Amino acid sequence: MTDPGPSPSPEEAAQTGTLATRLALKQRAGGIVVPIVTVIFALVMSWIIVAATQHSAHTALVVFKEIFDGSGLNWVFHPSTNTFTSISAYNLSQTLLQTTPLILTGLAVAFAFRCGMFNIGANGQYLVGLMVANWLGVDLAGLNPFLHILLCIVAGTLAAAAFAGIAGVLKATVGAHEVITTIMLNWIAYWTASWLVGVGGPLQNASDPTAPISNQVSPGARLPDFWGKQGFSGLHIGIFLSLAAVVVFWVLLNRTTLGYEVRAVGFNPDAAAYGGINVKKNLIRAMAISGAFAGLAGTLDMLGGAQNYQIGQLDIPFIQVGFIGIAVALLGRTTAVGTLIGALFFGGLLYGSFHGLGSSSVIDPTLASNLTYIVQGLVVLFIGADVLILYVWNSRKRLRRKPPGTAAKGAEAAA
Amino acid sequence: MNTWTGRLENPLSTRLRDPGTTGALGILLGAFAAFLAIPPIEARTVTWPILVGIVAATFGVWTVTRGRRRLGWGAVAAGLLGIGLGILATRSSAANLESAFDATLVAQTLGFSTPLVFGAIGGMFSERSGVVNIGLEGMMLMGAFWGVYGADKGGTWIVGLLVAAGVGGLVALVYAFFAIHLRADQIVGGTAINFLAVGITGYFFIQLYNNNPIPNDVSLLPNLHVPGLPANPSNPHGFVDFLGQSIGDLSVLTWAALVLVFVAYLVVFKTPIGLRIRACGEHPRAADTVGINVYAIRYGCVVLSGVLAALGGIYLSEGPQGNGTFIFNMTNGRGFIALAAMIFGNWRPAGAAAAALLFGFSSALALKLQVYSSSAGTLFQILPYVLTLIAVAGVIGRTIAPAADGKPYAKQ
Amino acid sequence: MADDDLVLEMRGIRKEFPGVVANDDVSFEVRRGEVHALLGENGAGKSTLMNILYGLYRPDGGEIRLNGKAVSFSSAREAIQAGIGMVHQHFMLIPVMTVAENVVLGTEPRNGVLLDEAQAARRVAEMAKTFKFAVDPEALVQDISVGQQQRVEIMKALYRNADVLILDEPTAVLTPQEASDLFEILQTLQREGLSIIFISHKLNEVLEIADRITVLRRGKTIETVPRAGATEASLARAMVGRDVLLRVDKPVAQVGDVLLEVEDLHVSDDRGLEKVRGVSFDVRAGEIVGIAGVDGNGQTELIDALTGLQKIDSGKVVIGGTQLSHATAKAALDAGIGHIPEDRQRRGLVLEFSIAENIALHDYAKPPTARSGWLFPGRMVQRAKTLISEFDVRGGGPLTRAGGLSGGNQQKLVAAREIDRDPKVLIAAQPTRGLDVGAIEYLHRRLVTERDEGRAILLVSLELEEILSLSDRILVLYEGKIVGEHTGEISEEAIGLEMLGGKETAAA
Repeated sequence: MTDPGPSPSPEEAAQTGTLATRLALKQRAGGIVVPIVTVIFALVMSWIIVAATQHSAHTALVVFKEIFDGSGLNWVFHPSTNTFTSISAYNLSQTLLQTTPLILTGLAVAFAFRCGMFNIGANGQYLVGLMVANWLGVDLAGLNPFLHILLCIVAGTLAAAAFAGIAGVLKATVGAHEVITTIMLNWIAYWTASWLVGVGGPLQNASDPTAPISNQVSPGARLPDFWGKQGFSGLHIGIFLSLAAVVVFWVLLNRTTLGYEVRAVGFNPDAAAYGGINVKKNLIRAMAISGAFAGLAGTLDMLGGAQNYQIGQLDIPFIQVGFIGIAVALLGRTTAVGTLIGALFFGGLLYGSFHGLGSSSVIDPTLASNLTYIVQGLVVLFIGADVLILYVWNSRKRLRRKPPGTAAKGAEAAA
Repeated sequence: MNTWTGRLENPLSTRLRDPGTTGALGILLGAFAAFLAIPPIEARTVTWPILVGIVAATFGVWTVTRGRRRLGWGAVAAGLLGIGLGILATRSSAANLESAFDATLVAQTLGFSTPLVFGAIGGMFSERSGVVNIGLEGMMLMGAFWGVYGADKGGTWIVGLLVAAGVGGLVALVYAFFAIHLRADQIVGGTAINFLAVGITGYFFIQLYNNNPIPNDVSLLPNLHVPGLPANPSNPHGFVDFLGQSIGDLSVLTWAALVLVFVAYLVVFKTPIGLRIRACGEHPRAADTVGINVYAIRYGCVVLSGVLAALGGIYLSEGPQGNGTFIFNMTNGRGFIALAAMIFGNWRPAGAAAAALLFGFSSALALKLQVYSSSAGTLFQILPYVLTLIAVAGVIGRTIAPAADGKPYAKQ
Repeated sequence: MADDDLVLEMRGIRKEFPGVVANDDVSFEVRRGEVHALLGENGAGKSTLMNILYGLYRPDGGEIRLNGKAVSFSSAREAIQAGIGMVHQHFMLIPVMTVAENVVLGTEPRNGVLLDEAQAARRVAEMAKTFKFAVDPEALVQDISVGQQQRVEIMKALYRNADVLILDEPTAVLTPQEASDLFEILQTLQREGLSIIFISHKLNEVLEIADRITVLRRGKTIETVPRAGATEASLARAMVGRDVLLRVDKPVAQVGDVLLEVEDLHVSDDRGLEKVRGVSFDVRAGEIVGIAGVDGNGQTELIDALTGLQKIDSGKVVIGGTQLSHATAKAALDAGIGHIPEDRQRRGLVLEFSIAENIALHDYAKPPTARSGWLFPGRMVQRAKTLISEFDVRGGGPLTRAGGLSGGNQQKLVAAREIDRDPKVLIAAQPTRGLDVGAIEYLHRRLVTERDEGRAILLVSLELEEILSLSDRILVLYEGKIVGEHTGEISEEAIGLEMLGGKETAAA
């Protein structure tokens, strides 16, 4: 009421603020409702695609039921812990296996967002973690297993942090945009990894010199499975590290001075500088921490499920895990718990559609697997359109109550 | 005053001491150092490339100290690169060299560059108008799939081209709506387009072709034969054969890319509409106050970028290397490389095309280098990305984006 | 009905923004071929009026007649077509394009489908020659001086056949030499029959260039006078008004040691222009020193230099015995600076943070808020609770988002944080801008209380009333230099003249 001139409306604020400000704005505007609406919207649109191409609305419904069952999330209806006798238990274990790296890449993207940066390079950082874990996991065979695993994880995580730090340094010192640099670093990581395990490469396997594939991680460095039978790609203990990372993420951001600085810089670099915070240092540090989360995902996948790396392996974890992390982080509103839920959603969607539909009665399984990408794309598209969401949200509120002086109230809320 | 300092004051040495000249000379010498070791000169000792390379680097350092840092570092890099390549080349067998550095290298460079040029020019239009288009990759992928589909169902590659262009434009229109009217974050929006394109093409590939390869009698993009040049000489020797192997048998889209670069240059820098596009990308409010419809210009440019990216995409599936097949996610990051080429080329058509050629050359060379070891060939793929990283980091001069690039514009 | 002589009439213009009436029944008319100055303080409503004329705002009431015909513009485009040109304070030019390109943009000469660059350059060159602009059509705008850039803006208007040319504070960005060049150009334009509206708050300029002068104050037209009858003193009185000043009861200052010492300070802005040119002063414990001046005379750069936010070119800054001429913001804070910044939303607060988090902005890493890197939000909240009640911040608790508070409460929040740090020197920049009367009173009282606690207070404000009512000593800043110092009985008209450069021109 007291400021002269037109106060910025929420829409204008959204347009002018930093990335972190915009995300926080959406958080306020929609809270938990907007992500849910976005997901429902994305699912409905992909349902329309299936229904239209299969000429049957019913088939499309069955497809989504099958994805759900395939993800093992129906386990809650018949909980058995035996992954051999219960399909849903097995599926659930696999979904959680898929969720493990997604939590971490989601946290990676979210952490950078919190500092006002867009880390598209989680894929490359993941690869660095993957390769370092493979190298040490193979080379240090015979070490005490606990030490061996610890060393692989720490080294892989730190290497990925340093790798991501390059983008942070370039941003802080010469202002190179992190989107371009992280994409370039993705490809540098990709081709380096391809060279490392390629024919004649230093990390190529010893047994088959024609196969561009790395050695298997030494048995001592493998993460033990705790659900499912050892060696049959059961759920390994990496998921606990992922969950621990969620806690670390939350504590780091909300209970340390480092997190305070990161958030201040992300929301308002000018005010942060005025407060005595070194903005450049924080950009570099936040990018490195972001990379550490993604690198940790790589080490867990290597020591857990994958155990070796092959060029051009088109399995989802290797190609897309960092990119899906973007969708996970955005869906989770860059919060710790939100990211966890987002990862579970995409983990279930991925496993449910890629593998769970293997026995689909109504649709070509490979067809359905592509639905994952469509849903993912739609989620990111609509969650990125904050103005649309804000508009829908605000008009809903406007419809509900029409108090006098709404304009002044809106201006005040935005001020 | 006297003796040697005085003698240096004549016009020739003054020109030689101009940092611009020494820098350019350094870069040329660096290239020459590498060139010494490969056919047709083929020096078989490492001495020459090293010597020439060192001279090039020295010129570079001198240039840097005289203030022309960008040029100087370029010369240093060229010198070191020349030494490296020279050593690599002299250590390999002459037969390998002959097979790596032949005329088909030129043809392959042009081939690999073609989709990049289309993508980069498309991206340039979008960004010149002020909209960052990270979704180039997805638009390219859409072009690759729907182009093949159009050619298959329509019976001719021309229909394929039209379908690809139409679908690319449509996807770009959706993106433009989010980026311009809804003022969504452009990076997030573009990323979404990329995800969507992977899903939609993958889905419809399986849906429409039932997981079988596309029939191999699909009408392909034709190659243009240059009259008088033997496209495939049986025993190539001499300049005409060399030329024939290089450019005698290129895809129609490769030639189109060449034309596109010139047309794009004319449009952007020599027409009223180009002036307006640049104004929207630099200072949309200024453009608005003189009566230019900023939204219309931006919509047009984003849609055009989608059309061009899709044409680049159809080259992948319908061009000489694609052979009428579509492969899941076949663009493999080429949209991002095109984007990088555009940045490397400083948002200019010729610069973007030159960068695309460089990227295409390193791809072609990586393919060729597999005669030595697939290992080296793989590692060499890093070069374009490292170059781009250096370029955007500003070690070799800061590239300057349009001032309002990526900033949504709100009308008053 | 319309006087033939009148090009433009604006009658009864009213424009409201939420909570503020920017223009209240403003009337204003311009004769053909005259330079008509629009004079008023910051916030008097000059810019709003001109933005209405230029189609950027829609008026809430009143009518505009151009050449006798009623008009209503919904965009700048329509205003341009009707013959109105405007040179904005922030130029609408594209730095990487040439002068000619900037001028013809949107109305380009064509040669077939191509842009006729030669014709564009020729026409601009002709125009430059006719009006003695001395601008190279082929030069890039980023390479020419600010004065020349302004001429390009004028050419843009002329190229589009403007009848009425609005210049918004045109001399704010110019050197005195450039300003006198501009005046010559304006006289040439006037001879060509253009009508010019000249917005300014500098008295000497207005008296030099204008034929008639309209004074606005607080959104209302005060008077329109011909130059002949006006003097600097009469205009200053009309501008500032004779309203009752907001007096603050304050005891006589008990002055102590020097806590802030500034010696021959030189500071440049981000573009490298020297904005503070050799400023020296000191502030002692227990006194309020006010810096008066018109916006853009180096206040921002001076404050930023004192608080470590802007690099110092040369000179000395000593805070409580600690020299920090090249310090970081953190070092300045640690030396005992408290700083209420002029833009609380851009800099003073992280709007997305809670009140508690904002209160911790400087000391988030120090006990008790944090220990060895660990943050204790509970203690942060505790501290916030104390300060909220002490400073009477209303509209929320410690966990309320700062952005959700009203402007007055936001400012109280900033003041609470800065004062609670127990600074030796408190810099208050525009502490009451945009606040309601209650909040203003509170902050004024608080500043006096803090003075009596023995702090050295530096008050920088564009509101002369505020400076006059609070300060024990007043320094006048004009073009980066201190041009006057006043203590004891102070004549506000004298200060007003100094602020507007009146004294300097009189001496020159």
